[in-house]
Amino acid sequence: MNSATDPDSPKLTAATSGFVLAAATAALFNTALAWARDAYAPLNGLMESLTGNSWTTHCLADLVLFAGLGFLFTKTRAAEKIVPNRLIGALIGAAAIAGIGLALWFAFV
Amino acid sequence: MNVSISDAILLAHAAFGVTGCLAALWVFLEALNAQPGNAGRTRAAALVTAVSMAAAWICGGYWYVQFYPAEKALILQGPWPFAHNLFMETKEHLFLITGILAFLLPVVTREKVHSNAAARKLVLSVAALIVITGLAVEGAGAVIEHGAKVALLRGGQKGDR
Repeated sequence: MNSATDPDSPKLTAATSGFVLAAATAALFNTALAWARDAYAPLNGLMESLTGNSWTTHCLADLVLFAGLGFLFTKTRAAEKIVPNRLIGALIGAAAIAGIGLALWFAFV
Repeated sequence: MNVSISDAILLAHAAFGVTGCLAALWVFLEALNAQPGNAGRTRAAALVTAVSMAAAWICGGYWYVQFYPAEKALILQGPWPFAHNLFMETKEHLFLITGILAFLLPVVTREKVHSNAAARKLVLSVAALIVITGLAVEGAGAVIEHGAKVALLRGGQKGDR
């Protein structure tokens, strides 16, 4: 049986699953926010007005999202239902898409 | 010797970043050889990774906000404007992914890596992602500094070969 669908495959704790899913989400959000800030100047201005520097606001948004979703997914046990191999694939995929997405955006847009 | 506070912060940023990458590599190697006996070492290395990356983030963030605008103007007037437009723009956002992964590492190493194949695979994946993205960020930092250097050496002539 495929380990990704095997009900007896090793499980991860609710906290681990929750924070892995939160990290994958935060990585994609980070890139989407970078694109949005670069494409839409008023958003960059709004973020700058919040902390004095738009990048600082961007950092805080990423950290709050990662921690907030991590605790939420842990508490609700939402990510625990996801098979570990899929969760690992989601994290690697999100990091790759987010990283390559940043480089391509700033290279060509 | 004349080392300004700007120089010290920038060098500390790079040094903490390299330390974080090496600590993540240490976690990767411990996870490859996961046993009950090295669980404590794996968790300690994960903590070193997170603390080093947090320190790199704080030093780099402070330097970026306080000192980078002058260097950015210099780079953009020089022959390597892409050092900012591509490399710094990508680095300043890619590093946030590295930082989040570094904070994730101590969480995932709380699992029983030696007896749980999925946890072992997860720790190997997170540690490898930190090393890969961290090295990319370090390399981008070198290109940015060279962009400033060529702007100074070549007198800010755009398109100079």
